[in-house]
This record gives sequence, structure tokens and C-alpha cells, in this order.
Amino acid sequence: MREGYVLGLIPETWRFELTQFPWVRRLFKSRWMPLALILFNVFLFTLILMAGFFGGLMLPGNYNFGIMIVWILWWVLLMTVLVPVLSRFWCTMCPLPFLGEWLQRLRLFDVRYEKGRNPYFGLNKRWPKSLSNMWLMNILFLVTTFASGFFTVRPAATFVLLTAIIALAVALSLIYRARTFCLYVCPVSGFQGLYSNFALTEVRVKDPEICARHKQKGCVVGNEWGYGCPWLLLPYAFRRNTYCGMCFECLKTCEYDNMAVNLRPPGVDLLVDEKRGLDEAYKALIMLGIAIVFFVTFQGPWGTLKDWANAATLSGYLAFIGLHTSWNLIVLPAIFLLFVWLARRAAGQPVPLKKVYVNFSYATVPLGLAAWIAFSLGIILPNGSYLLHVLSDPFAWGWDLFGTAHFPWTPVFTGIMPYLMILTLLIGLLFSMDIAFKIARQTFAEPEAAVRGALPILGFLGAMTWGLMWLFVG
Amino acid sequence: MKRQEVLAVLLAVLATVGTVVAAIWYDRSRDAGRDVVELLALQPKNGNWQPNEIRLERGRPVRLKIRNVETVSHGFALPEFGIGIAEIQPGEVHVVDFTPDRTGIFPFYCTVWCSPEHMAMAGRVIVTESVARAPSDR
Repeated sequence: MREGYVLGLIPETWRFELTQFPWVRRLFKSRWMPLALILFNVFLFTLILMAGFFGGLMLPGNYNFGIMIVWILWWVLLMTVLVPVLSRFWCTMCPLPFLGEWLQRLRLFDVRYEKGRNPYFGLNKRWPKSLSNMWLMNILFLVTTFASGFFTVRPAATFVLLTAIIALAVALSLIYRARTFCLYVCPVSGFQGLYSNFALTEVRVKDPEICARHKQKGCVVGNEWGYGCPWLLLPYAFRRNTYCGMCFECLKTCEYDNMAVNLRPPGVDLLVDEKRGLDEAYKALIMLGIAIVFFVTFQGPWGTLKDWANAATLSGYLAFIGLHTSWNLIVLPAIFLLFVWLARRAAGQPVPLKKVYVNFSYATVPLGLAAWIAFSLGIILPNGSYLLHVLSDPFAWGWDLFGTAHFPWTPVFTGIMPYLMILTLLIGLLFSMDIAFKIARQTFAEPEAAVRGALPILGFLGAMTWGLMWLFVG
Repeated sequence: MKRQEVLAVLLAVLATVGTVVAAIWYDRSRDAGRDVVELLALQPKNGNWQPNEIRLERGRPVRLKIRNVETVSHGFALPEFGIGIAEIQPGEVHVVDFTPDRTGIFPFYCTVWCSPEHMAMAGRVIVTESVARAPSDR
């Protein structure tokens, strides 16, 4: 394939600046963006929490607004559109840190700025350096999935999860600076960050030279138009989407309109060899592993596994947790290590094994994302019609707001669903192979060694794809 | 505080407290002027209809909210008053409004073969003559 091209077709450097249009730039520079979106989601989450609270432990989940909106609509939108297309746009409008950030700033709309003074309420401490990575998020996300059997069945489980996250976000906002919670703790932040490296959208500096000459750096320290980057990035310098929460503060604070929102080819950040680490490598493998476990458990034909995950018996539930954890933290990473070891041996280059392991882990991101999209199709196509019911009767109080309270269960495109899943996986595999070859070129100096080194990784990707396809269509 | 900050705070209060208050107010206003009975549909082995016995007053409008909290379908019939719901799917809530026009004891049933004990899934409505009550005593 051609060097410097995504799938040999689109130049990796291709960008289309959306903010070149004055009305788009005005939109992003307005302080109502993203506040208006957040307020709308605060309204939605209030309904979700109410539905979770009133639904309690009794109602089956299929007709509960909280469960349907969070685990059917939100999760599917997140995996199929928001992350792969719009990067961390969910973080843009996420209502979970809303209260904490309001308390920090003591303002919702206005900017609390006085030159030389800390504008934030609270202790404003720095997060420990040892935790400034994805490890905590890896563990928290994995632990959260232990209760996945309850979230889609018991409204109270969703209520407890969301209120716990909001309470934690508020507490951490009062102790630690800026969006520390979102950066290093939020269970759904880590995979969004990693998978956003594949996304078609980015916020980036336009001309670094302008920033080099500009000493005030309002995008970092804030000014009267906005706050310094709440995600603690240097907006003029970062090169990967991982930790950009797309809050658009840098578009507001930049006096030279030198920040842009761009469209770009998919996957280009996965090739940026900057701040790669074992934490992100594990995140990539854990996400792939959990997608497999979820499919096997919740969409596969094995009833015993469903009973285990739903805690029908304590011993079964402990077995589920044990197998789930060992598969994601030990078995899958060990299998990948074997293929990485083969890759290094085949390449015959003196590159540290850890570096090879970390680098190639980014090649699994497109396939992992595709596995989640395929899994999401298996959720939304059969079950999407339940959404019409809960929109009309959100709290199961016998309402019929839109005349759809008794809309029958209506599966959509389930006849072609396995083929859509396979197609999604194959597209993911294609991108993963492309990334794997390019990472091999980055990792091993000689081109021939790179080709030899890439082959075992292609084997791993192919085996994973075959395994997933077998699960999808039997 | 600038006007837009006030507006933002107002919208935040509306989105949270306003939503809760509006939902509860709407639900109360829908039920206004009626007695409301919440009826849970449960297989006999799980407790049967709850409540199993509903006491009503003749001539007093009533709203039954029949809620299926199980993972099997149920149905509902109160034949003496011509009320029937063919299927109440898991999680569904059906609302039935009626005014009992005679006194007596009237059985109600599940109409879907929901379990081996299906035929035992029954309860009764007891309608008595209305008694004078204080206006607040609903």
C-alpha cells in the first residue's frame, strides 16, 4: 500500500476544516456550546434517574426508560456514531460532570476570570502522577462490567451506577483541578479516548507558528473568553485525540482563531508515536476482550453463562467474574504477547519487547471498535422498538404521551443482521491490517523486517476476526 | 450576574427540579377525581395478584393501573364489568378506568396461560355502598 495513505486511498494528512465556515466557528465560540447540549442531557438524565429510582428492583428492564435510553440508545450511539465519527463528542455534552464543574467554576455560562488569580472553587489539587494514566479507568471499567447482567435488567442498578458516578465526579471536582475525574477516573472515558484515535473528527491547532509567537497562551491559562484547557492539554501542541474532551474552550480562548475543528481520515492518530503506553495497550485489549465476553454471554446461545452473569447463583456469578477478569487481564494479553514475540522474532530487530507490544496494540483498535459496533447492531436492531414504548411512558406510570406506549416489539433488519455484523468486522479488520503494517514500519527500521514482523500480528487480527465471525453466525 | 448566566441557571433548575415537579404534577393531574389502585400481576407462586382483594365504592370512579412486573405475559379480565386486556407484556402498564355501578363480589383473572398455576391467578373486587367521607380522604 502507498506510504502516507489510509488504506492506500486517502492521504493521512488530509483535513477539511469545518470551522472555516463563519457560522460554524461562531457556534463553537459561543458559550452556549456545549452548555445547551449539556443542559438538554441534564434533562434527559433527570428522566433516566427518575425512571431508575421509581423502577427500582421490580420492573423488567425492557420497558424502563433509564435502561432503554442508557444501554440501548446511548451505548449504541456511542459505539456506532459518536466515537468513530465525532471522537469524544459525548464528553462535549456529558451531563455527569456538570454539577462538579458548576461548583468548580461557580458559573454556568459566564467565565470567572481575573488575571493572575485561580478562577476555581475547591482545593484544586494535582492528581497523583502515578495515577495519571488509563490503569484506574481500565480497572473501573472492567469492574463495572461485572454488573452488566444487572444493568439491563434492574433499573435500580442503572440508577446506582449513575448516581455513584455523579457523586464521585462532584467529590473529585472539589478536590482536584479541572476535569481530573473525566481524565483519569470516569469508566467510560478511557475507551472513548483510545477509540477516538480512530475518529473522523479532531480539534487541532491550525498554524503552530502563530502559537509559538504568542506568549499569553489563553488556551492554557484561560482568559475573559474562556477557561484554560479543562482537560489539562496544551491545545497548541497535542497530536492525539486521546485526552481531548472536545469542550471547545480553546476555540473560545484563542485570540487568533488558530484552533480548528477538522474532518480527517479514520485512524490517523493511531500512527502517532507519542505517549504510547502499556496502559493504553491494555485498554485496547480489554475492550476487545470484553466485546467477546459480552457477545458470548449476552447474545450467544449459552444460557448457563447468562445465568452466571445475572447472578442466578453466587457460585455462578463468582465464576463469571473470575473467568471474565482472567480472560481480559491475563489470557487475551498473553495470547497477544505470544504473537508479538513471534513478530519481534520474525523481524529479527533489537527492539524491546515492551515497545513492540505497546505499538502493535494500537493495531487492534479498529477491530475492537468494529466488534463493539457489531455487538451494538445485535442490541439495537432487535430491541430498538422498545424505545417507542418508554418515550411514551418513561416511568411506567401508565402514561401514553405519544400514543406508542403499547407499540409491539418490532425487530428491524434482523434477517441481514449477521451479514451486517460480518461486514462491520471485515471493515475493522481491513483498517487494523493497514495500521499494523504502518506500525511495523515505525517499529522495525528495515522495510523487509517490518513486513516479516507484521505477519504474526496479521495472524492475531485474522484469528480474532474469525473467532468473532464464528460467534456472530455460528 | 449577567442575563445569560441567570438564564443558564434557570434552565439548569428547570432541567432538574422542574422535570421532577412537572412529571409528578402531570401524573397527579391525570389521576385527579379518581381512586387509583395499583395492581401487580404476579404468578401464583410469586404472590398472585397484589393486592388480591380490591375494595371499591359504588358510583366512585376508579383507575386500575395493572402492572406486569414479571418476565412472562399476563392478561386481565373483570368479566362482570366487561373489562378485559388480552395481553399485558412483561414490564407493561395498562390503565383501566371504570365506575362500579353495583355492589357485590366480582372475581378478576389472568387471561394468559402464564404458568402451571395459571388457573389459580385470580383475585376479587368487592364493591360496597359509598360512605360519606371527608373531602381529603381519598
